[in-house]
Amino acid sequence: MSRLEAKKPSSCKSEPLTSERVRATLCVLKGILTSSYGPSGRLKQVHNGLGGCVCTTSHSSALLSNLPVTHPILKILTTSMQNHVSCFSDCGLFTAILCCNLIENLQRTGLTPTTVIKLNQQLLCLCTSYLKSESCGCRILVDFSRPQTLLCLVRSIVTSKPASMLTREETDHISALVLRAFLLTIPDNSKDRLILGKSIIVPLKGQRVLDSSVFPGILLEMSEVQLMKILPIKKSDAFKVALFCASLSGDLSDTGEGTVVVSSRVSLENAALEQLLNLGRQLVSDHVDLVMCQKVIHPSLKQFLHMHRVIAVDRIGVAVMEPLSKVTGTPPIGSLGSISPSSYGSVKDLCPAKFGFKHFLHLIPNEATICSLLLCSRNDTAWDELKLTCQTALHALQLTIKEPSVLLGGGCTETHLAAYIRHKICNEPESILKDDGCTQTELQLITEAFCSALESVAGSLEHDGGEVLTDMKYGHFWSTQAESPSVVNWPDLLSRCGCGLYNSQEELHWSFLKTTRHPFAPQTCLPHEATGSANNLTLDCFTAKLSGLQVAVETANLILDLSYIIEDKN
Amino acid sequence: MARMVVACVSSHLRKTGDGAKTFIIFLCHLLRGLHTITDKEQDSLISKNIQTHRRHWKNCCQWKFISQALLTFQTQILDYIMDHYLSKHFLSVFSSSTKERTLCRSSLELLLEAYFCGRVGRNNHSFISQLTCNYFFKSMACESGFEEVFDLVDDYFVELNVGVTGLPVSDSRIVAGLVLHRDFSVYCPADGDIRIVIVTETIQPLFSTSGSEFILNSEAQFHTSQFWIMEKTKAIMKHLQSQNVKLLLSSVKQPDLVIYYAGLNGISVVECLSPEEVSLIQRIIGLSPFVLAQASAQYEICNTALVKFCKPLILRSKRYVHLGLISTCSFIPHCIVLCGPVQGLVEQHEDALHGAFKMLRQLFKDLDLNYMIRTSDQNHTSSPPTYKTSRESNPLPEIVSGLIQRPYQGTVVKNKGKLAKTQTYLKVYSNLVVPNVELETCIPYSTPKVTPTDTYQTDETLRCLPPTKTRIIDDSEPFIESNSANSIAENTGIEISYENLQVTKMARKGSMLPVREKSLEMCTSQSYCCSTLPAGCVLPVGGNFEILLHYYLLNHARKCQQSEETIVSMIIANALLGVPKILYKSKKGKYSFPQIYVRTLHALQTSQPMVSSQTGLESVAGKYQLLTSVLQCLTKILTIDLVINIKRQPQEMYDQDSEEEV
Repeated sequence: MSRLEAKKPSSCKSEPLTSERVRATLCVLKGILTSSYGPSGRLKQVHNGLGGCVCTTSHSSALLSNLPVTHPILKILTTSMQNHVSCFSDCGLFTAILCCNLIENLQRTGLTPTTVIKLNQQLLCLCTSYLKSESCGCRILVDFSRPQTLLCLVRSIVTSKPASMLTREETDHISALVLRAFLLTIPDNSKDRLILGKSIIVPLKGQRVLDSSVFPGILLEMSEVQLMKILPIKKSDAFKVALFCASLSGDLSDTGEGTVVVSSRVSLENAALEQLLNLGRQLVSDHVDLVMCQKVIHPSLKQFLHMHRVIAVDRIGVAVMEPLSKVTGTPPIGSLGSISPSSYGSVKDLCPAKFGFKHFLHLIPNEATICSLLLCSRNDTAWDELKLTCQTALHALQLTIKEPSVLLGGGCTETHLAAYIRHKICNEPESILKDDGCTQTELQLITEAFCSALESVAGSLEHDGGEVLTDMKYGHFWSTQAESPSVVNWPDLLSRCGCGLYNSQEELHWSFLKTTRHPFAPQTCLPHEATGSANNLTLDCFTAKLSGLQVAVETANLILDLSYIIEDKN
Repeated sequence: MARMVVACVSSHLRKTGDGAKTFIIFLCHLLRGLHTITDKEQDSLISKNIQTHRRHWKNCCQWKFISQALLTFQTQILDYIMDHYLSKHFLSVFSSSTKERTLCRSSLELLLEAYFCGRVGRNNHSFISQLTCNYFFKSMACESGFEEVFDLVDDYFVELNVGVTGLPVSDSRIVAGLVLHRDFSVYCPADGDIRIVIVTETIQPLFSTSGSEFILNSEAQFHTSQFWIMEKTKAIMKHLQSQNVKLLLSSVKQPDLVIYYAGLNGISVVECLSPEEVSLIQRIIGLSPFVLAQASAQYEICNTALVKFCKPLILRSKRYVHLGLISTCSFIPHCIVLCGPVQGLVEQHEDALHGAFKMLRQLFKDLDLNYMIRTSDQNHTSSPPTYKTSRESNPLPEIVSGLIQRPYQGTVVKNKGKLAKTQTYLKVYSNLVVPNVELETCIPYSTPKVTPTDTYQTDETLRCLPPTKTRIIDDSEPFIESNSANSIAENTGIEISYENLQVTKMARKGSMLPVREKSLEMCTSQSYCCSTLPAGCVLPVGGNFEILLHYYLLNHARKCQQSEETIVSMIIANALLGVPKILYKSKKGKYSFPQIYVRTLHALQTSQPMVSSQTGLESVAGKYQLLTSVLQCLTKILTIDLVINIKRQPQEMYDQDSEEEV
């Protein structure tokens, strides 16, 4: 019996954003996100008071999925960010913080939502077209002949996730591994369409991070006893592999909707087993060396195969099937009957491997785009974070191959973009004002709100109380050590800008990020040699960041557009 | 009660995809109007000492009375006014330059823009309306087949769009071909000649089918039957391959064996298609499912179709099947990929798009108006014999020739010097002749139809004109002229019917039958009119329709003798104004409601063209539907006098209103 409860009436609230409570919660959320942002971001520990695992993270997807959010407005914001992260893996915090900043700043202008949204959209268009344009001063084209740029990208992603608890040496090691793993998934001879392979992350907890490594092919984990049974493996040039997706357990397949009448003296089990053994005989006569099955192999068949020195591995699971069929170069077999010789695949070598306390069977392919990334870490939470980090980095690399550009990281893109927009709006406001019924003042208010939202995202990279500045030539982002004297010679105090492209010894003028300054035209068109020579840049994934920018503005618009919240409280 | 209103609204919305808010506003104003009227009457009519109970019953009777009046209003006056007065203000979405009906892109854009204005967030509405417009023009194969396109898109909307979350809205796009919401079970890259088949059952034969029994007597038998099954499956797949079939679409899950052999033979397989997807594919390419029994024979498989391409489509790391179907109907398959940061937003856009297609579907259907006019004309009694004689004396060809000649004269008079165009009218008329003759011979009782008075003849031919004319030129000017001529001639009150010219003969007969019966019953003291609003009528947004109808209803009410009719017309006319009042609530000064109202009325009285302050168009058919739906809902409400709550089984968690009528 279910308990009956009286229906509660739905609640309807108007102008949700003006409520003090919403503002306060939004502010708290922003505080959480801002403090986790960047390489020096603070970690968050998410746990349940009743017990269970503790999650230590600064990664947006882990953070947002674990945060209990109740207010509808915040729910929109967090789901929007989660969706973004599940699409692009990267730039989740950037998107979320920018969205919060935009809502806060635009709300403060006190203009009508219609105007705000219209102008916001226009400014977004300005941003995206600038970022995509040739003259963009914060975008670098990736030269695939020089892996340095890609390595910088990976390292920036790895360092921006402090919860993985990596030392400098470990960071370099992991970055190199990730890049190698990625390069292994690129096919050698691609025709018109590039189909990337897959890197499988294999967990190995309780080992040093520096023990992590990358192998071509697949590592199949199995118990020591199983592995002992298989050994010794006879040596040959190539191993012939039969990969089954059909069950080899001898159960009867679907018999249809009618009834099947079996006479008492007929034993279907025997019949099925007989069929399996026939299959086994065929496999042996075809000189198959390795039989793998997604489902269960009947013990008798296993025994039979073992007797004939054929290695049998079962219960592989559906997840590994696709990489396995790529490694062996053959689609899985679905038939128990006669198998055409073309259905057999092959691997180059087969060897047992032991890493830490785990035993693996290592399948080395002739030529395949599958590799295994063995990730080691000392404890569970750090491993989880490390895995997320590696996945993010691999995804970012994939996105970069599709769209071969990267953006300057370390807050420089944000400040540069803000400077560009300020300048553009100040000098040619007509381009935006021409078709809308908006005034110049309104445009200036919105621009100020938009740009300061962008700048304060960059500003949230600084957590240690240092000053944040921007230069007046490139519009890049600079930060100082904490507790520096108030009146100083800036070039001595600052060393490099956020992305590491420029150093302070040039003749530059700086200004505090929070103060108002005269709009200036930031230098566009990055000189090629500048990007080529510098090899320690901080970079961001172009596709992820661009989409993050768009999603942030669209979500902010959506939230600003809300005038009623109707909730069914049942 | 509210639940009933909601049910009415949602049924209206299902049909038209537009006007839910207007529905409520309008209904609310109507009820308020009724309330004030009944209150007034109560004060004057019912003395104070009558018990409240009796007053309640009295009230109910009165309401019932009103509801009947409403019903008669809806069936008679509304259509009459729509046809006679309002229609001259209608614009059309078809461009007027060519003879053919061609859709005018800019007016369609205006229409969609206005539609999406209230449904999609401000920052996206122009983008979404552009997308819809592009989609529509891309998927339309030829100019004439757009009705079919709308029907198809509306019916299979879910299958024709893909929602993707996590991407900015501006990434939404249109992809050519059909996207199936699932991945390949086997994908074998193929190019060149790709043929597909659809199957609705498993290809692998099973041991037994339902209702039959399979008896296994020995193990050997089991082996042979399994072997036979395998060989059979293999043979079928080989056969398919030999017919150049590269893709197998299946509505059921196929066994591993089938998948395996498909892979061996280079056939891609897509499993578990929904029935809707299958029927959509069938409608697009006209392909019927492949029957397995045929496959055993060695002859060619006829149920195959060619596709341009078949490849996986990856949207946000999810894989879809992308088919380039070659259409055999007027719909060229295209899919909309809708992106948005949150699921809710994507759903909202999907609903809005679906609504838009519903609205367009309504818009491009001719709207039939049937109404009758009461007259005090005495001619009727004598008309049947006249008709008889006329029918005997005038052989049909003559009538036909008359029909051909009359429009000629008429149009010459009306559209001075448009000789070139009358030529086309004649052509159309020659097509018309046959159904007209049919019509008259099969309905001998619809007597006054061909009464041989000259004025009626012209009248009829004139009335036949508007639909054709709109099909050909679609200029609202001549349309107005001929219509106003009609309304003058209307007073003569002879039964005139004309039908939508594109309706088939059968439909014609069907719709004429009730007319015949009624006219017999009522001794021809009333005359019936059937007329059609041509497809694609639109009006500018901003309460134009409401103000116009308000104006004409008031005019009509002034002319009416019967008090109830006057009252009902007044109530409706005033309630109609509620909508524009709300629309202009936030506007100030020149654009405030009273200003607009006065200006429009002035323009109407001096018969100047109306000036609209807003761009954007809305569908007349939708508005008309809305009005009738509201009136029906209102009559429903008014006929209920008592709401009885009953408690159902507690498991159901809700109590239901039962509606009882006295």
